Amino acid sequence: MTQEYVTRIADFIARYLSYMLGAGVHTSRVVRNSKRIGDALGVDVSVHTSQKTATLTVAEKGRPVMNTRVLDIPAFPISFEWNADLSALSWAAYDRKMPLEEIEARFDSLVAKPRMNPVFVLLMASLANASFCRLFGGDIWAMLVTFTATMIGFFTRQHLTRRHVNHYIVFVVSAFVASLCASTALTLGLDSAEIALATSVLYLVPGVPLINGVIDITDGHIQIGISRLVNALMLIVCIAIGMSATLMLVKDSLL
Amino acid sequence: MIAVDIISDGLFAAVAAMGFGSISDPPMRAFRYIAILAAVGHATRYCLMTFLGVDIATASLIAAFIIGTGSVWFGKKVFCPMTVLYIPALLPMVPGTYAYKTVFSLIMFLQEISSPTQGSEYLQAMIFNGAVSFSVIFMLAVGATLPVFLLRERANSMTRGSRYI
Repeated sequence: MTQEYVTRIADFIARYLSYMLGAGVHTSRVVRNSKRIGDALGVDVSVHTSQKTATLTVAEKGRPVMNTRVLDIPAFPISFEWNADLSALSWAAYDRKMPLEEIEARFDSLVAKPRMNPVFVLLMASLANASFCRLFGGDIWAMLVTFTATMIGFFTRQHLTRRHVNHYIVFVVSAFVASLCASTALTLGLDSAEIALATSVLYLVPGVPLINGVIDITDGHIQIGISRLVNALMLIVCIAIGMSATLMLVKDSLL
Repeated sequence: MIAVDIISDGLFAAVAAMGFGSISDPPMRAFRYIAILAAVGHATRYCLMTFLGVDIATASLIAAFIIGTGSVWFGKKVFCPMTVLYIPALLPMVPGTYAYKTVFSLIMFLQEISSPTQGSEYLQAMIFNGAVSFSVIFMLAVGATLPVFLLRERANSMTRGSRYI
């Protein structure tokens, strides 16, 4: 194995690793999959990860030819589809002994797949929040208010995200918009108006980083697990700030 | 009437899981199984809490364990890693209201800081809600990960031989 070939493998594994970590896959799976691809190509892979960067060493088995680098982890939106597809790619590379060129070509076509239609996601998220309202004991009118409020709030979120606004600001503004729309339930005099108001912002709760953080901690990747939990906590604080702005506006009708 | 309550609880949990899951872009083939897992899990937790009086953390642990075990079974069918199926299915059980109330009580505590009685009430509410939300999230993730520790070989090769790449 030449130095150039090891460097090319390291180039690819660095991309693979940063795409998976960026798309919100828990750490032990990313490390396991990278090592599997390394096994398929005949190299040892060692990884150290943190929230925004990772360190990667690729070394040929039994020989001192190696490549080490620090890589930045880009912030992709969470994608379970990449999680499933890229994990399958690592098994395919291992089982079929694919050459590096074929793995790279497949990787490129997998990450180029289009994401889910945003309008469909908007509709599904609004339906989900309305059923959440029902689970907390809201009636049909509260569900309708929550549905509409979520739709407007989520639409705001999608648009601000597309314009690359800072994500803390996105969360504060969307929480404010959604809860302000839901506060119309108070004006309409619904019985379960408070439930509608409280559930209207729950579509923003970062459930995936929260669960991923605990999975990482139970797997022994304690530092990155705590980083993920702290990140999620910051977003929850932003939701609370946006919502308390609404509550201060409508406080009198709540009491 | 009880049966209707349980079924509607599962149904709404399934819709919630599919909706919140769709924000994170799961593969289309996984939706059906996410819905089944979420419905079974949430209905289990509802039954445990309403009829047997189990506390929310233990009930979440048992429900999450059922979801995790189910995701080992279903994941092999659709070639998805376990997390792709069980994280969306757990999302309706994430204690969003408790987490929100924790931070909200903190904000209210800071506003009422000059009044000792009200201030300490909000501080108490913050610790109460914070403890509940942390332990429920912890139990959810641990319960769903337990099957990975028990069935390591099977759980780590879910996407092996996938037809979808």
